[in-house]
Amino acid sequence: MITIKELEKWFDQLHVLKGIDLTVNPSEVVVIIGASGSGKSTLLRCINFLEEFQKGEIVIEGKVINQQDEKMINEMRSRVGMVFQHFNLFPHMSVLQNVIEGPIQVKGMAQEEAVKMGRCYLDEVGLLDKEDAYPSMLSGGQKQRVAIARALAMEPLAILFDEPTSALDPELVGEVLSVMKNLARDGMTMVIVTHEMGFAREVADRVVYMDEGLIVEQGTPQQVFDSPQKERTQSFLSRVR
Amino acid sequence: MTYDFKALMDFFPYFLPAAWLTIVVSFFGIVLGVVLGLLTAFARISSKPVFNLPARFYIFVIRGTPLLLQILFLYYSLRGIFNFEAMTSAIVALGVHNGAYIAEIFRGAIQSIAVGQMEAARSLGMTYRKAILRIVLPQAFKRAIPSLGNQFIIALKDSSLASAITIKELLLKAQQLGASNFKMMEMLTIAAFFYLFYTSIFTWLFHKIEVKLSASGNA
Ligand SMILES: Nc1ncnc2c1ncn2[C@@H]1O[C@H](COP(=O)(O)OP(=O)(O)O)[C@@H](O)[C@H]1O
Ligand SMILES: [Mg+2]
Repeated sequence: MITIKELEKWFDQLHVLKGIDLTVNPSEVVVIIGASGSGKSTLLRCINFLEEFQKGEIVIEGKVINQQDEKMINEMRSRVGMVFQHFNLFPHMSVLQNVIEGPIQVKGMAQEEAVKMGRCYLDEVGLLDKEDAYPSMLSGGQKQRVAIARALAMEPLAILFDEPTSALDPELVGEVLSVMKNLARDGMTMVIVTHEMGFAREVADRVVYMDEGLIVEQGTPQQVFDSPQKERTQSFLSRVR
Repeated sequence: MTYDFKALMDFFPYFLPAAWLTIVVSFFGIVLGVVLGLLTAFARISSKPVFNLPARFYIFVIRGTPLLLQILFLYYSLRGIFNFEAMTSAIVALGVHNGAYIAEIFRGAIQSIAVGQMEAARSLGMTYRKAILRIVLPQAFKRAIPSLGNQFIIALKDSSLASAITIKELLLKAQQLGASNFKMMEMLTIAAFFYLFYTSIFTWLFHKIEVKLSASGNA
């Protein structure tokens, strides 16, 4: 469904992605792990075209996305959701407005229908009672759950998560991970960058280890966590355990 | 020399037309300033030199020269070219002057909105235009309100400089009456009263708006 071919990205002189090949299949949960600075966020941001890359291509549902084609990018973005480390909720809108903004403004959905659907997704993340609250009144865990509902409301093919629990107090991590586990169970296609190794082991269909802009090793959680083949993977895992 | 308190009451009604003129000049000057300011702010932020260079130059000139000079300059040039009357010149001058300052206020407010807001909007598939209109600007306006209120008060007081091009607003009225009845202090006091009245209304109004906005959601 999402195919990344020989992706290379520079920030000026800094070679950040050095040739990434990755395919994400429908209903697959791909978890990307790796040290800070290895290029995980940049990779996700390239998939959402928030960063421009210099080489390679990204194919979504058989279509090669042209980075210069604004219309094509917007269309693609409306079908691939993104959840950010710092939530990025719209502070001037209520929880429900945050969730229905995309469907109404991007898909042209009628207000009434969007509200009905928005409530559905708020219910799914357990925040139906907060629909009139503003983001500033929510805990970090609640904010991230609203952000997930906002992504879900676009009825995306896939959702990209960039360290969705890294900005949360430890006691709030669980509620967000549990929502994500439900999504995985329901067959949502997800690409998740995380440092939560227990969670990765539990929900990932495939674990991808990145280092210095390259995919070093990938496989099932058992393969990568229990018997990593590459020395770099072994030393990374021994450090995070 | 004695201060004639009774004259304050006696001459008060003579100031009403001037008080109205001050409102008209200030109001249209501010409206023009906001429109110019918003356009200039976007031009200034733009990465394209065709937009940002003229915006920079405009702000550079206006902020680097006195308002009185700008008023006189526009008065003489517009009168020559378009046959503008003094009133129009005064409004244009005040608008152009405030536009530069308001542009900087808007620019600061827009740039203070976290890039994550734009990214979140774009990642939903919103166009740049929509993201600006629906996500960035409402937050930027809110952030700009205290500075805007301040600038509006300055604009209101600055409208007194229109007296230099024969606009019979409060200050010129006071000077003319004072020169003929020899009660200059009293006449200036009446003008001051009107200015204080107006600026108090502005201050109160903006305070109300701030309170209302901070009640609905976060800052
Ligand atoms: N906007 C940017 N400009 C310049 N360098 C950047 C930018 N964003 C990230 N980088 C650099 O790219 C590298 C990869 O960053 P990132 O993708 O954020 O890594 P990760 O998410 O794995 O921690 C780092 O060296 C980082 O400093
Ligand atoms: Mg990162």
